[in-house]
Amino acid sequence: MAFEIPKTAYSGKIREIKLGSGDKAVTVGGETCYPFYLFEGEMPHLPRIAMEVWDMPPQEWAEAALEPFKGVTDDPASWAKKCVADYGAEMICLQLVSTDPNGLDRGADEAAEVVKKVADAVGVPLIVWGTANHDKDTEVLRKVTEVCQGRNLIIGPVEEGDHKKIGAAAIGYQHTVAASTPIDINLAKQLNILLGNLGVSDELIVMDPTTSCIGYGIEYCYSVMERTRMAGLTQQDEKLQFPLICNISKEAWKTKEVHLADGELNMGDARKRGILLEAMSAMVLILAGGDVIVMRHPEAIKLVREIVAELTAS
Amino acid sequence: MVLIGENLNIISKTIGPALKERNPKPIQELAQAEAEAGVDYIDLNIGPARKRGDELMEWVVKTVQEVTDKPLSLDTTNPVAMEAGLKVCKGKALINSISPSRMDEEAPLVKKYNAEMIGLLWGREGMPRDAAERGVIAVELMYKANEMGVPNENIWFDPIATPVVNIESNQSKPCLEFMSMLQDIAPGCKSTVGLSNVSNGAPTHLRPYLNRAYLMMLMKYGLYSAIVDAFDSELISIARGERPEIVALVHRVMDGDKPAFSSLTEEEVKYVKTVRVITGEALYSHSWLEI
Repeated sequence: MAFEIPKTAYSGKIREIKLGSGDKAVTVGGETCYPFYLFEGEMPHLPRIAMEVWDMPPQEWAEAALEPFKGVTDDPASWAKKCVADYGAEMICLQLVSTDPNGLDRGADEAAEVVKKVADAVGVPLIVWGTANHDKDTEVLRKVTEVCQGRNLIIGPVEEGDHKKIGAAAIGYQHTVAASTPIDINLAKQLNILLGNLGVSDELIVMDPTTSCIGYGIEYCYSVMERTRMAGLTQQDEKLQFPLICNISKEAWKTKEVHLADGELNMGDARKRGILLEAMSAMVLILAGGDVIVMRHPEAIKLVREIVAELTAS
Repeated sequence: MVLIGENLNIISKTIGPALKERNPKPIQELAQAEAEAGVDYIDLNIGPARKRGDELMEWVVKTVQEVTDKPLSLDTTNPVAMEAGLKVCKGKALINSISPSRMDEEAPLVKKYNAEMIGLLWGREGMPRDAAERGVIAVELMYKANEMGVPNENIWFDPIATPVVNIESNQSKPCLEFMSMLQDIAPGCKSTVGLSNVSNGAPTHLRPYLNRAYLMMLMKYGLYSAIVDAFDSELISIARGERPEIVALVHRVMDGDKPAFSSLTEEEVKYVKTVRVITGEALYSHSWLEI
């Protein structure tokens, strides 16, 4: 009898979610198989990389991460433009770091104005990320949704504690929400149910499982993402059939290892080290089912794109 | 089904202070209420009781015995306190519980006081990971107990129910599987389960659904006893055989039947959904009954 390769019995499909608006909008999700199991199903939309832009000049970035963005880090709109024009970014993730109540504590109006400028400067889909402070994010992200009405931004993190107010604003002004939970599949499912109860359409949800980088617990993130995909694809769990977004760059580039100088602790070239840590972490998350990966360094992004191309070459 | 009321517990906000202050009133009121609710045993959980545990157990046993004749389940990890309780316990006491690492110290008490014991299937390396590991621990406990003169009918195995809310550690199915093989590996031994564990972490008002559904599931394999919330009257009705239709439905679902929700009552749908989250067929979330 001829050997037959066992096949996974899939019964579900990840939802296809359209991000952004206009001719630069992208669609993510749609998988009918585990990541890159192209011999068992389809990945109609390959994972997308969103390039990270900050709304204030970063103070503590490693030199290697700053270097590609020299001259534009004090202007988020120029920074985003550079990402699109020079590095081919298909999406931008604007981190509203300046709104942190423990930092600059910039107000909602000012923050929303910056978001509007960035959205106008680039046509690609825009992810807008708050500081995970429920009160402040509610204030800031609600204003952002209003100012950018109809642009279909991706607003995050939307957590259980602020999902009602931010979710309602997203419904009102037509944006997608990034439902964020602390590496826990049961809580992730629950938040998606709550968003559904609130009236957020299933077409406007992506999930942020919370991610960390290599050396800092990525295995656990991998397991949770993998299990999420199993529930969505093989257990018909409709509340987990959403694309996954992973905010990995800030995790990779804040590690102690990335900030060590050349040769310190025998860890070699600092630039290469940072780029590889980011690229490898991103790749792990893509293999776990990540659909949108937020990344920072153009060379790390290039590496990831090459690997994805190789994995999907026919 | 032998029901052990779990409510008299040191972690309770009223019972904890009453135990500490040796205030008999709240304790006697609760014991009486549990007896009236229809449980067969009253569990006296005084916790680890490291300091003067013997005095405390002796006092609480006497205090409860003043108001009820129900048999008592003595619940502490302090062997000295356990013995002090056994000494003054009038009926046949149930020792709750003994795991393999404590057998040498505590099993002699079972014989000495003609008591019964709950054999807790907690291994030397912690929580067993499947039914087979539970079986191994059960056999070890049984042999050791037999050697010390404790017959099988005085051993009640507790396979340790785990919270459904935590996908990583959900052992509900292995517990069921263990129950299905118990009479083959330990003939004549009894069984019990700390039922409320299964709903730990779930919203308080929904916990009874998980407790009741899991009880019905365990009943399929002849569960002898359960440690329960004495004040869940619906649960007690189920245990007393007064809800045969819903029990039959739960057992059909366990056998793979997928009844159309439109053919069921609202209440039945809730139990079917609950069975599915306990088995892991559907992933648990706090809103499991709504979707």
